[in-house]
Amino acid sequence: MIKSQNTYKIISNKQVSEKFFHICIDAKSILKKIKPGQFVHVKIDDTLTPFLRRPFSIHRADSCLEILYEILGEGTKKLAKKKKGDSLDIIGPLGNNFSAPPEGTKNITIVTGGVGVAPFLALTDILKNKKYNITLLYGGRNSDYVFSLKSFLKNKCKVFISTDDGSVGVHGRVDKFFKNISFEDAFIYTCGPEPMIKEVQKFAVKNKIKGEASLEEVMACGIGACLGCATKTKDGFKLVCYDGPVFDLEKLDFNANGKCKCK
Amino acid sequence: MNLKVKIGKLKFSNPVTVASGTFSYMKEYSSIAEIKKLGAVVAKTITLNAREGNPSPRIVETAAGMVNAIGIENRGADYFIETKLPELKKLGVPLVVSVSAKEDKELISLVKKLNKAKGIAAIELNLSCPNLKHKTLVAQDKYATYRVIKAVKKATKLPIIAKLSPNVTDIVLIAKSAERAGADALSLVNTFSAMVIDIDKRKSKIGNFTGGLSGPAIKPIAVKMVYDVAQTVKIPIIAMGGIMNADDALEFIIAGASMVAVGTANFVNPSAPKEILAGIKSYMKKNKIRDIKKLIGSIKKG
Ligand SMILES: Cc1cc2nc3c(=O)[nH]c(=O)nc-3n(C[C@H](O)[C@H](O)[C@H](O)COP(=O)(O)OP(=O)(O)OC[C@H]3O[C@@H](n4cnc5c(N)ncnc54)[C@H](O)[C@@H]3O)c2cc1C
Ligand SMILES: Cc1cc2nc3c(=O)[nH]c(=O)nc-3n(C[C@H](O)[C@H](O)[C@H](O)COP(=O)(O)O)c2cc1C
Ligand code: FES
Repeated sequence: MIKSQNTYKIISNKQVSEKFFHICIDAKSILKKIKPGQFVHVKIDDTLTPFLRRPFSIHRADSCLEILYEILGEGTKKLAKKKKGDSLDIIGPLGNNFSAPPEGTKNITIVTGGVGVAPFLALTDILKNKKYNITLLYGGRNSDYVFSLKSFLKNKCKVFISTDDGSVGVHGRVDKFFKNISFEDAFIYTCGPEPMIKEVQKFAVKNKIKGEASLEEVMACGIGACLGCATKTKDGFKLVCYDGPVFDLEKLDFNANGKCKCK
Repeated sequence: MNLKVKIGKLKFSNPVTVASGTFSYMKEYSSIAEIKKLGAVVAKTITLNAREGNPSPRIVETAAGMVNAIGIENRGADYFIETKLPELKKLGVPLVVSVSAKEDKELISLVKKLNKAKGIAAIELNLSCPNLKHKTLVAQDKYATYRVIKAVKKATKLPIIAKLSPNVTDIVLIAKSAERAGADALSLVNTFSAMVIDIDKRKSKIGNFTGGLSGPAIKPIAVKMVYDVAQTVKIPIIAMGGIMNADDALEFIIAGASMVAVGTANFVNPSAPKEILAGIKSYMKKNKIRDIKKLIGSIKKG
């Protein structure tokens, strides 16, 4: 009953770091429709484990549909075993997209951690041709989470890397880099672990910088039917799959984000 | 081949529908042509006034299923009638509107609002939602079940489908009560009360602390409940609980259901309702069954 559901063949599926894989999917029919920030909802296989689909940001939509994914549980472990020629049942593209930076923007800062970096390759594919200074701050837990960021360099990004244990790049969290960056006429994009987005929001609000964040929430349908992926914002509950995943950074309401307050 | 089924005076072109809260009509994504083929469409439960819903996380995956605690998030009856109803009517499929309320008075006002709206085929009374902060559910008390259905029947001419909870000692007693009160059909079953614990945090994985289990994990229990109730009541049963494919749906029909509703399966495979309808047809063809009525409750014993 869904127009955007289809089965596509895998072109390649490669490990790019201890924890990360990169998959290319032959989804030609949807490539042109895709906007940076959107995601796809993937049925890993026909078994009951995992039972639900898994949402993944679109890493890039150029010659094929690319996904960058982190091995976490059953679903991503099974996905990593898929080979060239295997097929995947995909619904998408879904969700809203990153907006263009407001007029007058000069400096763009992308703050990401871990696999949260995924949607930004598609975004910088578009931004690279406009006259922005783009800085990408990438934080990883340790070297297992660091993969080649060459494609971001090609997209004219200045890249700064930090790890929690100092095994790659600067020791500590990405916000260490804030003081070295110009936030004049700036716009921020962020995606990653919730504590990181929270820090970025605090910094942005304090310094009156506008921005957008891409959120994650456990999903069932991915199309706005089950109301399962609601997240609290200053405008009430919003669906991450339908109203999001991209939200105005200011509007996120972490204090009330309903992460189980029960004992 | 005759796939037509009846609930009271209502006729449906085939026995396949969708379960409340699992289907949403989204123009951007849905193919209307395929929705038109369904026997009926059941909308997400509405309440008289808007409800914000439960804190996140609202869902967690479990073995062959999921636990949810959405909390009947909805924007209230007026919003539904003004905004959603016109779109749902356009689908051209009999529309069942699901309703719920904390108090009888509220429920009656809600039903009266629906009386004035056009294009509603039937009302489903969600007596069984386990997520509202009640002490007990209406559907857990045969007297309350009788009282509420009786009151609603008095307030409307629309057919009433009573949706029951499986979280009871004996669902047959409740089903009988509903029939006696004048329910035109029964929907069996809602989700099973459940919880999932994060052992690292020693906290519930659900924002509302507890939720309801749905999906294939509950199917065999739901089939037994439908069978038991079908042995006892004469009104038609709309069955649901873990239906993923035509074989699952056929189990329920053979156990005694007149209609089957696809719920959680929609999230995994949005084409499930269409495939289930096609599968029922090919089963009937293969087994030379000309009329679906011959199949309903056709389970053999011994
Ligand atoms: C809009 C969106 C975009 C996403 N984009 C990407 C992406 O580009 N690359 C990528 O690797 N991942 C992405 N994710 C997260 C991805 O969906 C999960 O990592 C994946 O579902 C895990 O599946 P699994 O079966 O391997 O792990 P599971 O066995 O399901 O989970 C393992 C652990 O991770 C937790 N978990 C599961 N899903 C999520 C989630 N959505 N958010 C936070 N914690 C979770 C579980 O509670 C559990 O503790 C995205 C999620 C959303 C909502
Ligand atoms: C996310 C979700 C939301 C639901 N919302 C409602 C609801 O609003 N009203 C209702 O009567 N049942 C609701 N249900 C219950 C389903 O209609 C159905 O009775 C139940 O899930 C069992 O069927 P299934 O296993 O096929 O999903 C909901 C179920 C799920 C999974
Ligand atoms: S995942 Fe179902 S509404 Fe977002």
